[in-house]
Amino acid sequence: MGIVKQDLLNMKTVAVNKRAKNWIRVGYSTCGVAAGAKEVLEVLTEEAKTRGLDVEVKKCGCLGLCSAEPLVEVNVEGAPRVFYGKVNKDVAHKIMDEHVCQKKLVDGHIYEI
Amino acid sequence: MKRILIQDTDGNKKKDLRDFAVALTSQLRERNLDGQCQVVTVADLGVYNKGLAARVLPEGFIYKNLEIKNITEIIDKTIIAGQKIDALAFDKKSKQMRVVLRNCGVVDPESFDEYVGNDGYQGLVRALEMGPEQAIAEMKKSGLRGRGGAGFPTWLKWDITRKVSGDVKYIICNGDEGDPGAYMDRSVLEGDPHSVIEGMMIGGFAVGATYGFFYIRAEYPLAVERIQKAINKCYEKGLLGKNILGSNFNFDMEIRLGAGAFVCGEETALIASVEGLRGYPRPRPPFPSVKGLWDKPTVINNVETLANIPYIFAKGGEEFGKIGTEGSKGTKVFAVTGKVRNSGLVEVPMGITLREIVFDIGGGVFENKAIKAIQTGGPSGGVIPEQYFDTPVEYESLQKLGSIMGSGGMIVMDEDDCMVDISKFYLGFCVDESCGKCAPCRIGGTQMLGILTRISEGKGKADDLNKLNQIALAMQKASLCGLGQTAPNPVLSTLKYFAEEYRAHVEDGKCPSGKCASLVSFLIHKDKCTGCGLCARNCPVNVIAGSRQEKYVIDQEKCISCGMCYQVCKFDAVERQ
Repeated sequence: MGIVKQDLLNMKTVAVNKRAKNWIRVGYSTCGVAAGAKEVLEVLTEEAKTRGLDVEVKKCGCLGLCSAEPLVEVNVEGAPRVFYGKVNKDVAHKIMDEHVCQKKLVDGHIYEI
Repeated sequence: MKRILIQDTDGNKKKDLRDFAVALTSQLRERNLDGQCQVVTVADLGVYNKGLAARVLPEGFIYKNLEIKNITEIIDKTIIAGQKIDALAFDKKSKQMRVVLRNCGVVDPESFDEYVGNDGYQGLVRALEMGPEQAIAEMKKSGLRGRGGAGFPTWLKWDITRKVSGDVKYIICNGDEGDPGAYMDRSVLEGDPHSVIEGMMIGGFAVGATYGFFYIRAEYPLAVERIQKAINKCYEKGLLGKNILGSNFNFDMEIRLGAGAFVCGEETALIASVEGLRGYPRPRPPFPSVKGLWDKPTVINNVETLANIPYIFAKGGEEFGKIGTEGSKGTKVFAVTGKVRNSGLVEVPMGITLREIVFDIGGGVFENKAIKAIQTGGPSGGVIPEQYFDTPVEYESLQKLGSIMGSGGMIVMDEDDCMVDISKFYLGFCVDESCGKCAPCRIGGTQMLGILTRISEGKGKADDLNKLNQIALAMQKASLCGLGQTAPNPVLSTLKYFAEEYRAHVEDGKCPSGKCASLVSFLIHKDKCTGCGLCARNCPVNVIAGSRQEKYVIDQEKCISCGMCYQVCKFDAVERQ
């Protein structure tokens, strides 16, 4: 027997409650992957783990601004929520270092969508 | 902590921006505010041609055309007092609206839970409670029309299929997106697979189908992978199979891969391909709604159409109908590419003008270039020149201009693009992709391409433009399927709006845009050449020689007229003739 309406509603509540307070999303569609999102995702995941940061790093679909891929959206307490575009390994390190840890925005890569 | 995000929105004031940043930082430091306010240069504020611009966070004010003399006021009023300076303010309104792309870039496409957390499958719940007739009535209220290009009302398609009697019915999702420069459907399939699945389930329920096929091109491996994962998840949760959500609705789903033929996006050819046959179209009627897949009534909906449906059922058809214009409801996703600053996907409400899409969202063309036209609708569409950019985006208004809404490709062209070359490209695409079944498309296309090639080489004859028109009309009238009927559209629309350019090729043997290689030559002026050698290093065929003292010369015999030297020269020493 499959799920019924009430199960869906329960699942929704669980999913909403599970949402992390601090998160980083990496655009991970073909456009992002082609531009190097895989490496960026690896760096961010690795850094979050080794530094033991309270931030969830996850994949998402294409945000639309393909010319600025790989795109990374950062939402952590104490700093504004922003998109970083044309992110590479170095910028990914900077995002963790400056934005997530020091709550300072990273220079030169912010895009407003 | 405050932040000032600054950017040179003209793209040519790098030094001013640096000076501004230095002045701002030092004034902040002098007033001991540097610990409370961070200055950040950003890549794009989404504001264009407004000089130096700044956004102040957390207030969110945007200031434009800034100069160093404004700094004191900004610090006094905004940084310290948090007030807006009206004289500098710029009101940026977002022109985009996300319906189809509502979850793209928000949810993890591989997570069922996140989709459900964002109201996923609530539309299906509502549809099942309504029953099929009510569901179709809801679609009628929404006014949604097919997003594949032709704009047939979706509710009507469903209604016809529902009313045809048949023991088995099918629903197919057309994911054979083949227009050059268009990738909206790929993004939706990759970014939000569950919404397309949900849309298909609602459609299947409404028309009485028990089986759904995803027809996706094999060139989209990631889309296929994510859809497959999503389908598996639905089976696991019992959302696919028998008695879905406790109702008596049974539905199964599988993926079929397209092998890369453009014609398979045409519905009768698509059906043949799903059946395992060669992707040949067949004459209509009978329409697939009556006699489709394995001769059973079949509904075929485009990816974007289906992605709209969960939204319609979750929010209500009436609510959806408030978006857009009288005849064209909802939003449309466009893939804006070509000579535009921000290429990418945009989703806008219907009725917005082309100019707003290209300039306000796309950021306009690159500096020092004049925009010429945009192409919409891919090889079936046409070219719209700049003087019509204030036309609202609607199915009918674009058709009136000789183009179509199409699936959503929008290619921006500037003064360097030659219209003969463009129509040659699109026609060449259709000639390659013609299946060869009917003569008008097979022979007409080839003949037209021959004429266009001749024109682009400067060997055009006086009668050629008439001939192009004649063959084009014959193809439109007599071709079997949409591919042949619409293939001449790019040629016809460029002939209509840019006849002079064609005539310059035919009569004067000149290509005004300097694109047609046989009609242009490049020359380096000795007096302007500084001998830097940049052109020689960039020449792909190595035919530029010289030295700092003797300057550089192009070997005209071997030059392929690619124009690379012309593009790279920083001293305007290369002339195009």
